[in-house]
Amino acid sequence: MTATPPATQHKIFSPARVWAIASNTLLELIRLKVFYFLLIFALVVIGVLFLYRDIFQDEFQSLKDGSLGAMSIFSLLLSILPTAMLLPKDIEDRTLYTILAKPVPRFEYLLGKFLGVLLLLFIAVSLMSLVFLTVLFCRMEVAIGEATRSAHGALLNERLSAIQHDAFSESLLPGIFIVYLKAAVGASITLLLSTFATSMIFTVMMSFVVQIIGHLQSIARDAAIETVGITHLSKIFYMLLALLIPDLSAFSLVDEMVTGTAIPFDLFAKTAALGGIYVAVYFFVAYFIFMGKEL
Amino acid sequence: MSTPAISIQNLTKIYPIPFKRERVTAVKDLSLTVEPGQVYGLLGPNGSGKSTTMKIVLGLVSPTSGRTEIFGRDSTTVESREDVGFLPENPYFYKFLTGSETLHFYGKLCGLSGTKIRDRTKELLKLVGLENAADRRLGGYSKGMLQRIGLAQAMIQEPRLLVLDEPTAGVDPAGSREIRDLILDFKKRGITVLLCSHLLEQVQEICDRIGILDRGSLIREGRLDELISIQNQTELILENAPPELLAAIQAIIAKSPARLVEQRKPQKTLERYFLDVTTPSQP
Repeated sequence: MTATPPATQHKIFSPARVWAIASNTLLELIRLKVFYFLLIFALVVIGVLFLYRDIFQDEFQSLKDGSLGAMSIFSLLLSILPTAMLLPKDIEDRTLYTILAKPVPRFEYLLGKFLGVLLLLFIAVSLMSLVFLTVLFCRMEVAIGEATRSAHGALLNERLSAIQHDAFSESLLPGIFIVYLKAAVGASITLLLSTFATSMIFTVMMSFVVQIIGHLQSIARDAAIETVGITHLSKIFYMLLALLIPDLSAFSLVDEMVTGTAIPFDLFAKTAALGGIYVAVYFFVAYFIFMGKEL
Repeated sequence: MSTPAISIQNLTKIYPIPFKRERVTAVKDLSLTVEPGQVYGLLGPNGSGKSTTMKIVLGLVSPTSGRTEIFGRDSTTVESREDVGFLPENPYFYKFLTGSETLHFYGKLCGLSGTKIRDRTKELLKLVGLENAADRRLGGYSKGMLQRIGLAQAMIQEPRLLVLDEPTAGVDPAGSREIRDLILDFKKRGITVLLCSHLLEQVQEICDRIGILDRGSLIREGRLDELISIQNQTELILENAPPELLAAIQAIIAKSPARLVEQRKPQKTLERYFLDVTTPSQP
């Protein structure tokens, strides 16, 4: 071992470096035992089963409603709380110095950290979906058994078809995807806030405030348009506001998906694209702030 | 003439104070050069600008004016860090990783191949004496062990320059001595070391050259032996000298224009004494 020039050629962008940071971040978050919340989620889903025991349509409805609602809340908590601590913890422990003192561009560091959170959210939403869909499937099987015992022939076929339609409507998986996307938007906002916030508590509080404003924004906008009317200037203002604080009511598509309403593909695609744009914009703004940050 | 390991030219760093018109000058028109293979000690009281200088050299902080280079490469570029290993003051690495996982992680960041990482991990864990703790999580490491794994991660990609900020802070004398020996070992291997430390005795033992910063300015700089030697005095250390010889020497001195300033028994350092009484003797 002697002091020789480095054997490796520096790459401007290295997916291997990003993956090293992302997988390490995921491991860090998993070791924080964040998945304990799954137990609470499972209890919520099973608890919902005991409501509306009389009519299976109501039961499926409340199961989907309760489960997707719980998924939204848990994924939101998971998107804000771990993301808020990532950068401050690395700075406080000086781990960030040792990473950035290696040939790692700040863009790769931030991207790796963010991908780690997105992976965590993906695993969490997948596991919650697994619990929810398993419970839904089991309940559907019970409903089918009951129908088979009480009806025959054409009536049975009609009932079976109704049960399957009420349990697993085709909009269910896109609905779960929208839940994930909404959490990803929440994580990107939190990441952005953590690049300039002075404390973790401030980041967490501001993230929740943005979530509240994001949900109420469209209501305020509609009320303003109704009373004042719309001009070119106000249109630009609303667009800027929607960019600064995401219009989270756009993701309320999930509610309609739960009720089994068929959502046109282009509306789903537009919502997904909007989520993707929000995530990309907030990430890049976070990067530009982080790039100029004095460590 | 070889390219300097570190070249700092007219470096100034001014921090604005938020919500005030005042500004703080952390580093003022600093210029210095560290040649390859040297162990350079950057000294100064707290707030003198040592850490800011180090961070600018590592590209963690941008200079207000001036330029810093690592082996001829602008240190604001990511590429310049291929040649650098850094150990910050009181580092806390990821506690959930084991010693070998930590080195594996930093090896990946440096773009090393899987085989190379495995070889380097084995080699470095042996070098820093952590072979037996390789599979233990860092959460269970002592302060000294953390510093040693920190040195190992700094060395993972075989850098030509090591930047060490207080590498022995909070470490017990035995651990401190081990780290000192490691730095001397790196020096033997031709690795340049930039060292920041308040332990002046240790700096004196290992540094070839020092620079003293005070309020952001370099107030003294040069070869250590030249800076601290007293030019008009001479030290003679005799072993087993009989009293008659000492009396004769004193008589000669009395007849000469020289003046005997002090005659005393040489003392070992407190660190040496502590290590002698606490280190178990070899069988």
